[in-house]
Amino acid sequence: MKKTKMTAVLAASALIVGALAGCGSNNNEGNNTGAANNGGGGDLPKVGVAIYKFDDTFMSGVRAAITDAANGVAEVDVVDSQNSQPTQNDKVDLFLNKKYDALAINTVDRTAAGVLIDKAKAKDVPIVFLNREPMADDMNKWDKVYYVGAKAEESGTISGQLIVDYWKANPTADKNGDGKLQYVMLKGEPGHQDAELRTKFSVKAVEDAGIPVEKLEEDTAMWDRVKGQEKMAAFLAAHGDKIEAVFANNDDMALGAVEALKAAGYFTGDKYVPVVGVDATAPALQALQDGTLLGTVLNDAKNQGKATVTLAAVLGKGETPSKENTGYDITDGKYVWIPYKKITKDNIADAQ
Amino acid sequence: MNAASIKRFSSQNAIYIVLILLVVAIAVYDPTFIAITTLRDILVQSSTRAIIALGMAFILITGGTDLSAGRIVGITAVISASMLQMETYANRFFPDMGQINMIIPILLAIIVGLLIGLLNGFIVAKLNVPPFIATLGTMVAVYGLNSMYFDIDPNNSQPIGGLRSDFTNLGTGYIGSDGTYSIPYIVIIAIVVAAIVWVIFNKTQLGKNMYAIGGNIQAANVSGIRVSRNIMYIYMIAGALYGLAGVLEAARTGGATNNYGNMYELDAIAACVVGGVSTAGGIGTVPGVMAGVVIFSVINYGLTYVGIDPYWQLIVKGVIIVAAVAFDIRKYVAKK
Repeated sequence: MKKTKMTAVLAASALIVGALAGCGSNNNEGNNTGAANNGGGGDLPKVGVAIYKFDDTFMSGVRAAITDAANGVAEVDVVDSQNSQPTQNDKVDLFLNKKYDALAINTVDRTAAGVLIDKAKAKDVPIVFLNREPMADDMNKWDKVYYVGAKAEESGTISGQLIVDYWKANPTADKNGDGKLQYVMLKGEPGHQDAELRTKFSVKAVEDAGIPVEKLEEDTAMWDRVKGQEKMAAFLAAHGDKIEAVFANNDDMALGAVEALKAAGYFTGDKYVPVVGVDATAPALQALQDGTLLGTVLNDAKNQGKATVTLAAVLGKGETPSKENTGYDITDGKYVWIPYKKITKDNIADAQ
Repeated sequence: MNAASIKRFSSQNAIYIVLILLVVAIAVYDPTFIAITTLRDILVQSSTRAIIALGMAFILITGGTDLSAGRIVGITAVISASMLQMETYANRFFPDMGQINMIIPILLAIIVGLLIGLLNGFIVAKLNVPPFIATLGTMVAVYGLNSMYFDIDPNNSQPIGGLRSDFTNLGTGYIGSDGTYSIPYIVIIAIVVAAIVWVIFNKTQLGKNMYAIGGNIQAANVSGIRVSRNIMYIYMIAGALYGLAGVLEAARTGGATNNYGNMYELDAIAACVVGGVSTAGGIGTVPGVMAGVVIFSVINYGLTYVGIDPYWQLIVKGVIIVAAVAFDIRKYVAKK
């Protein structure tokens, strides 16, 4: 019996060590996720990157961009915080223990940035936050704290501009000829920061372009395609051809609206109304191609990732980031704002 | 030392041998792993996990299980954080609350944990619902309760931040002059908790009853142990420990959301099982549980340290859990 136990211990240990060795070799020949440990990269600054969770679609795009942009600029070690702030704090402790030259952190919980800054400051390791903006109080704790991200209101402004462009290019856009834009708005979840800002700034952009507006309807469709379709059907029943533009806070709701419009006979012959969304999802790009969606707005993952790595690498070398050494404008000495991109049928490739 | 005694030694201390092998394997791969700062980080990261795992060990040893542990950690993290924000912070959970003594919210959180534990114990012992189902129910309901509290106006489901520095110091502070050669408070708390639990396990009637109930519930009944009362005590103690762990998670990260603690119960069960606690009940020791917790911390920390792909880390963890249980079952079968 003791023999069996002994065998089991040996088997278990062999499994563990074997697994370790197995993954190790896999890692060496594979991607540069663990590049920071291989020591072969010479003098490149080492950057520890913690993403809030690996299975978020947008952040996966940013993660890929970080790995791409790091080539020849920095050795990056990208880890998954598994949507748990305590886990992320553990990863940051590890980065600091490994004496990395800079950190790039996409927090799980933006209010936790304060504690992370304290940790980094104690070891004098500069820190770049990305995508989730820490509180201003926390950002001001130390001068080696930076933020890379997009301004949510800008996604609203750009969707407004898409409608302005259409309005100016098509005299028939003003269906009733009263010089005012009659629109309907499909909002995301009420109280959600993106929903409120996109709603406000999309309308503001139209007004700022000198076009008077009249709101026919505004209702929430909870970011949801099915609800977007139902609400749009109700709007059509109430206003019919009086609607001159459809704003949606995201692509899913915009595509729902498109379905409702199709059912009402739009997009065949010359019956048309412009619909705009935000996100540039794959189905939205298909709709742009089909001509049912006028435009959408892309959150630029590629540049968020690139700016993050560039900034962290410069900081890791002990330099102060500037337009000259990063290629990005730095606002208030610590913010890099990555603009959203306007996507229409003409530049679908930019979003693919 | 002859061959037989080596065999006996290694089978009795398998868990510690595995731990050492693991450390050696990582150190061979990257020698810089062996450092005081590494040891310190691993101990800090083991602290709250150890407290939760010790609570879980109580329940596993009685032959039960507790799926609500993680959600209890979540609700107690949110409760303590909600009452311990700086007065100058812009988005306070209770805008008009003054600077109350830190002990009050901490005790309140621990009591909430204890009461949920008592509820678990009541459902298991008095309503005779199997522990898996009883705690599955409380797991879901406690998350609902926590989310409801978290959504109270003016907080409206926003992460709770801006925690007082005296509170965060509990999670990040240490005794000693610098960050390297010092003892973090959180590690001291975990060690004190482990010592108390060791005393309960080994020196008290409750501890003896716990092993007796887990070993053979009918025999325990016949020998005059008040089984249902003891089971309720056990779940209560476990709940209080989860409560303490929740408080420490909030203090350690300087914030809390209703998602804190999600799935921690599975980490705790895994650590217990790897540490030699039998899921069939009746078997388990405090040093074993602590070794189980440290093994997982070493895996988490060490595999990230040597830069192993995060997906591979999960696979390694899974293999280790299964290997440990396979070993555990073997021991159990061998006894028969």
